[in-house]
Amino acid sequence: MLRFFTFLFVFASCATLYAQPAGKFTISGYMKDAANGEALIGATVYITETGTGGITNEYGFYSITLPPANYTLHYSYVGYASVTKTITLSKSERFDIELSADDQQLQEVIIQADIEQANVQNLEMSTNKLDISTIKKVPSFLGEADLLRSLQLLPGVSTVGEGAAGFNVRGGSVGQNLILLDEAPVYNSSHLLGFFSVFNPDAVKDTKLYKGGIPSRYGGRLSSLLDVRMKEGNSKKFEATGGIGSIFSRLAIEAPIVKDKASFIVAVRRSYIDVLARPFVPLLKNGGALNFYDITLKTNYNINPKNRIYLSGYFGRDNFFFERNQGFSWGNATATLRWNHIFNDRLFSNFTAVYSNYDYKLQFGRNDNDSFKWNSQISNYIFKPQFTYFINSNNELNFGGEAIFYTFEPANAVGVSNGAPTDVSIPKKNNLETALYISNSQKISPKLSIDYGLRYSLFNYFGPDSVYTYSNETPGTRRLPIASRYYKSGEVIATYGNWEPRVSFKLQTSPTSSVKGSYNRMVQYLHLISNTTASNPLDVWNPSTNNVKPQIGDQLTVGWFKDLGASRMYELSFEAYYRKTQNQLDYIDGADLLINRYLEGDLLSGEGRAYGLESYFQKKTGRLTGWVAYTLSRTELKVDGINSGNWYPTRFNQTHNLKIAAFYEINKRWSFSANFIYTSGTPTTFPTSRFVSQGILVPYNAEDTRNNVNLPAYHRLDISFQLNGKKLKRNGKERKNTDYWVFGLYNVYARQNPFSIYFSQNNDQRVPQGQPISSQATQLAIIGTIVPSVSYNFKF
Amino acid sequence: MKYIKNISLATLLALVFAACETVINPELKNAEPLLVVDAWITNKPGAQTIILSQSQAYFDNTLPPPVSNATVTVIENGTKTYTFTEEPTRKGYYTWSPSGNQVFGTVGNTYKLTIQVNGETYEASSKMGPVSPVDSIVFKKNEPTQLNPDFYRAQFYAKDVIGRGDTYWIKTYKNGVLLNKPSELNVAYDAGFDSGGPFFSRVENGVPILVDFIPPIRNRMNPNDTDANDNALSPYVPGDSAYVEIHSITLAGFTYLRQLGEQTNRPGGFAELFSRPLANISTNINNANPNGKKALGFFNVAAVSGKGKKFVQ
Repeated sequence: MLRFFTFLFVFASCATLYAQPAGKFTISGYMKDAANGEALIGATVYITETGTGGITNEYGFYSITLPPANYTLHYSYVGYASVTKTITLSKSERFDIELSADDQQLQEVIIQADIEQANVQNLEMSTNKLDISTIKKVPSFLGEADLLRSLQLLPGVSTVGEGAAGFNVRGGSVGQNLILLDEAPVYNSSHLLGFFSVFNPDAVKDTKLYKGGIPSRYGGRLSSLLDVRMKEGNSKKFEATGGIGSIFSRLAIEAPIVKDKASFIVAVRRSYIDVLARPFVPLLKNGGALNFYDITLKTNYNINPKNRIYLSGYFGRDNFFFERNQGFSWGNATATLRWNHIFNDRLFSNFTAVYSNYDYKLQFGRNDNDSFKWNSQISNYIFKPQFTYFINSNNELNFGGEAIFYTFEPANAVGVSNGAPTDVSIPKKNNLETALYISNSQKISPKLSIDYGLRYSLFNYFGPDSVYTYSNETPGTRRLPIASRYYKSGEVIATYGNWEPRVSFKLQTSPTSSVKGSYNRMVQYLHLISNTTASNPLDVWNPSTNNVKPQIGDQLTVGWFKDLGASRMYELSFEAYYRKTQNQLDYIDGADLLINRYLEGDLLSGEGRAYGLESYFQKKTGRLTGWVAYTLSRTELKVDGINSGNWYPTRFNQTHNLKIAAFYEINKRWSFSANFIYTSGTPTTFPTSRFVSQGILVPYNAEDTRNNVNLPAYHRLDISFQLNGKKLKRNGKERKNTDYWVFGLYNVYARQNPFSIYFSQNNDQRVPQGQPISSQATQLAIIGTIVPSVSYNFKF
Repeated sequence: MKYIKNISLATLLALVFAACETVINPELKNAEPLLVVDAWITNKPGAQTIILSQSQAYFDNTLPPPVSNATVTVIENGTKTYTFTEEPTRKGYYTWSPSGNQVFGTVGNTYKLTIQVNGETYEASSKMGPVSPVDSIVFKKNEPTQLNPDFYRAQFYAKDVIGRGDTYWIKTYKNGVLLNKPSELNVAYDAGFDSGGPFFSRVENGVPILVDFIPPIRNRMNPNDTDANDNALSPYVPGDSAYVEIHSITLAGFTYLRQLGEQTNRPGGFAELFSRPLANISTNINNANPNGKKALGFFNVAAVSGKGKKFVQ
């Protein structure tokens, strides 16, 4: 692997010597926000004379190569006033451009019609960008702007219900999303189960969700990639933002270290319900804890025009202790070091080193003689060199590699019984995932662009570990270990290698419409082991092993994109997708998933398929903005030993999924937001019959089917009002600080949306033998009432 | 472990939000009734009973319909036959009565159940495993950190039988009443919860190492009862008596009871976030004709040890 990386580096270095295409010159540089120096991601440079252009990458860099002539360069970014530059190109030039945010509160008078046409013009498809200002406008649960909950308003994204951790994309499971926070994988994206996400909105700059057509530089998960980029920190002036809400308090501080050269941001959030409740709740007085917090920090240093480094980190924790020594905690920690190096004006590179860890801890027992302590974690080290070579205005080559070293610790557990400790730990597993990729984005004609790439991933499972062989049993029953073998440290136990082709195209059918298509193969070597109704923080990640094969997914997508309206203020799109997956895990009835050395004997493997149609209509400008997203879809599994070997819908299958988000600016101070969600009920299993065994009433499904009915539909309306603080002081001068209030109502008409329906004997009573037992069905709503909220937010 | 973890998490969540539950009457599909065999035989002194009944529609709240006129026998080690005859007063109850001080079965022997009814023959087999005695029962006042200061909890002490793979069902009687709520089901694999764990009695270098059941299993003898206002009651108060029985069960019996607990213990609320989807529990009753009608339930032959104690301060 190392050799490959060396090769890449040498190749890159050689490319710097590569001669400029005869008689052509390059314009390159960074695009930044004039107010705070933040790099602008996905900003466009358009050349009027040629009708071509470029888009800035994740670091705000662009590069365009053209023959010498006079050009008009048009730099633009949505929500920013654009900059036009007229040049005579006679040598390669570096233009670092700063754009100013378009500060018009009301967008009635649009000075510059900078409307994002990305979806029609871009080669990318199946992607959604959510900028942080939209996230902050969406009415939210308890008034906390939340990235993941806002994401669920997009087409193709769903969840099984309130409180469920994570999200589902195009019928994929929660564990099939790669969530990157500044390139570091985040293994659990939720605080307080699934009520809040770990991302502090004050520290997030840009969010992009890839649901399909995933570029070859990314891999490792089947269904989606959520790329979250943190702010770099204001490099112009000191700035503090924060808020006091119903559940969190937030504070973020950013400032230049050396103006325009180096800056930092530190953002902290903490829930304080426990602080407020402590005097009233004895549990909290007695050493119990109920809180969650996170710290996000980032700093960057612009060494010189060709080199820039970034260091970012995240640390978050949820604590639930009902006594000093009894309870749980869990959290993520990530650290990312990146170095942007511009080899020359056409070869951009980025080297990333990442450490990421997710762990949880549980402990029970009131004294040291009788206790149980358990922790589980997944940690990894990543090195990722990436190169972008702007060959000419028609070709952009991306290549690079990735190496991830994983350590899985499913259970480090010690139980003490009568003072005698017993270690029940399960040995850790060591794995190395490496990948190489190359892709080219090519403009074949003014109408047709294609992107083709290939990724090769290789996964190794190393000793030391004991590996088991399992018996063959009737599918659906526990397989028992029949042989074991011990592998020494460093000895390779299992190896998997996979080619992952990625292709996409865009055909511009008219200036305002395009047809796009993509195919990609994704391979996932990790498995999130979970068989509960909703994914939760104590789910365990497991690697592929000799017994568990890597997951493989092939997705095919076609879409039609159209801009409408005089100023192209509306966008309409339709996308259809079909994904076929292999080696999908399910579990035998009564599976033991935690602290089980022979876990693999309880796993079943099968195939999956997911297909659907997403439609999206957005109004981008005016006093009223917003979108309507509707998805029609199905996702199913077929596993030997479940549902008699027939296809069955997954727990997160939703036939209809409608989302409406609307934002209205009432006047300069007040604005109104609303969202409405309607989804078909998710599947569940109902019994047909009951029987009595040892005085306990047992539900029985005579058809032995899985997920044979759907819960009632889920629908909810949320609204919020935002009141901006006065712009002017009483004496008429402009205020230096800005602030705003948000008043929200979640679940406005207090619908009791069903999360599950469960069947049980009446009230968990003891029934004497010979007495009839009554059975009941109970519908559970996690949030069955209207939830009001107020938050105050400030910036100075 | 899972149980404790989920309940605790759910309790904590309930402090923050209030979930909302409604009893509903969904329409369910109809299904043909099946034979249900409830055959948990023990070596306790006295008569042994096997109950045969039929499954019902899920919302049918009457007593399960009995299955009469069956021929029920258990054969020990392929030689000795125990005949179970239907009680004239209780339909569907088939009983074997000992003569004198005779008890049912011997540890280590295998048993085959045969039921002939309505032209079908059902079979099941079991083996009587070993069991160790209950050493003691201890009542203890909770340390003052607990929410309610006047809680008395009990623990029983008993050791796992030497060797891996012993499985038990621990039944507790409080003041003579069996604790048989779904949430009170208590099964153990060796001295712990699961197979593959190292809580088990063994012989190391000729020295026996006897391991007590781990605390969560010992604690499970405490009922979780509440008063009319849903406040937790002290599991035991002075004057109460507790009787703990350990039944040796087969591995299949352990799996059956474990699944029974998972499928029937539905405390609701936030615990639903961690609950498992509804699935049918296994059975060891097989129709001799593979194409014949299925049966439900379980057959197990257990050796039993027990100890009682009255709580005096």
